[in-house]
Parts: sequence; structure tokens; C-alpha cells
Amino acid sequence: MKKFFESRWFILALRVVLGGLFLYAGASKIGNPLAFADSIATFKLLPPQLLNVVALSLPPFEILLGILLVTGLQARPASLGITVLAIVFGIALGQALARGLQVDCGCFGSGQPSTLKTWGSFARAGLFCLAGVWLYFQNLKRRSPENP
Amino acid sequence: MRQFLAVQAAAIKADIIFLFLAVSVCLAAGILINQFRESPLPLAYKTKAERMHDSVQRIAAQDPIPASAPASHLPERLNLELFSVYVEKKQGVVLDARPEIFHRLGHVPGALSLPRDDFEKGYAALKGKLEADRSQPIAIYCSGADCEDSGLVKKSLAALGYTNLALFEGGWSAWTSAKKQEEVAP
Repeated sequence: MKKFFESRWFILALRVVLGGLFLYAGASKIGNPLAFADSIATFKLLPPQLLNVVALSLPPFEILLGILLVTGLQARPASLGITVLAIVFGIALGQALARGLQVDCGCFGSGQPSTLKTWGSFARAGLFCLAGVWLYFQNLKRRSPENP
Repeated sequence: MRQFLAVQAAAIKADIIFLFLAVSVCLAAGILINQFRESPLPLAYKTKAERMHDSVQRIAAQDPIPASAPASHLPERLNLELFSVYVEKKQGVVLDARPEIFHRLGHVPGALSLPRDDFEKGYAALKGKLEADRSQPIAIYCSGADCEDSGLVKKSLAALGYTNLALFEGGWSAWTSAKKQEEVAP
């Protein structure tokens, strides 16, 4: 089983799926930063001064990570970036669930806040984190002195 | 694992530096792209309620609000039963406070689009119809029972001098769940 998860084709498929999802997530938000800022505001985590800055810069960052991961140009730092984003997002969702907040995840465009969807997003963030960690360590392992 | 990480320390450090650079580039790109938008997002965030308040101020500055208005006679909230009768008997105006795209995909028969997220533009389009009589019955709905859009539109209309306003508390989800007739924008 471990051999399958370490196989070249599985790693490639994981890269394309994970990178594609981030590419889509960024593209769905970049056109409407105001709606995304409203989504981030529902988490009640960031001060108002930072909300719009995050809403403007996070979608391009997701798109960049997606491109780098899908194309394999910088798959290693991209998978680390995706892991970090998934952890940050998981913490944001976790605190919202703990505080009983109705949040709009805003992950793939804006929607209606709901606790059920928040649990779903929390689980998805966990999966993204696992996938990111796996890709990162596989990339580190494959690093050779000729190809650092 | 520790030994593995120690061996790979230089690569991990390089990745972290790369990510910091990528974040900086994306921050700059995001702010730059924003400058080319039709209406750039200000760097300071304003809540939905604050933005609605600003819109009302701008509209009111163009058209002064009438000094006196008749008292309200619609109940503050309409349940599905009352709202269905209101719609079927065409007792007044129905406003859809959801984003315009959702209104196009399907709405309550006869409902007009006055989206919360584009209130000024929507209000300008409906101005003639609405301002003809600020005491006419107006029922407002949004996507469901928990959405805030209809409440914000109602508050804004009240600030603009409309006196006969009601919220359809179940919203679009209650309407569709009850399998009521839907209308699609042409």
C-alpha cells in the first residue's frame, strides 16, 4: 500500500488534483474580493484593517501555489505553502466552530454561512493538510545532490 | 525523522524563503490588480451594514427624503402563508435582496431585484417605481431564514423614508422547499 502512495503516478495525480483545487479556489475569489472580505469577516479573527488586504492577496497566492504545484515548477515549496494555508484555515475554522460562529468559508467563492458546511470545510482542510505534508516529504525524499 | 529533517534543513529553509517572497509578490500583485478594477476595494474594510449606510447617505443626498410619511400597516415579518397570499393577490411590491445573478436564476413571481451587494445601482433602476409611493407595501426576502441581506435592505429603505416594509422570514429556501411557483428572469 505504501508503495502505491509513493508511486510516481499517485504523486503526480495528487499534485494535479490539489494544485487544481487551489487554482480553482483562487480564481473563484479573485473577481470579487469584497465578497471574500465579507466571508473572512464572519470568522471574527482578523482586525478590520487587515481584512481587505488579505482578501486581495490570498487569491493570487492560491493561484500561484496551484500553478507551481500542477506544473511541477516549484512543487516542493508549493506543497509546503498549501500545507501552511490548510493549517491556518483549519485553525480559523476550528475556533469558529468552538465559538459557535456561523461562518461562510469563502473557499470556493462566497455562500451562505452554515455549521454543517463549516464541519465539511474543516474536514477538507485536514485532507489538504495531509496531502500537502505527504507531497512535501515525498519531494524532500526525492531530492538528490544533483537536483537540490 | 529528526535526522531526516536535519539533513534537509537547507532545503526547508530555502522553501520558507521562497514562500515569503511569493507572499510578498502576491500581496503587491493583489493591490496592483485592485487599482485596475471598475470600483477598487478600499484598503480599510467596511461591514455590510456600514456600506449600506454609506449608500443610503449618497442616495439621500441626491433626493431629499420626504419629511412626513404615513404609518406602517404591513406586519414586520411575513411567514410563508402570509407571504404566499401577498404574492398571489399582488398586494404590493416584492423585492429580492439576493445578488442579481441568483435573482436571474429564479425568483418569487413578480419580485424585483434590489440586491444588498449592489444597492445603489439596484435602487437607481427601481427608483421610479419605488419613489412613486413611499408608503406602498414592500415585502423583502433573501436566500433563507438566516441571511442578513433582506434585513439590511429593509433598514436602508426605512432610512430612505419607506414606511410599509415587511420581511419574508423564510426567504428563497422556504419558498422553494414549499414547491411554490418560480419565475426566471428573461
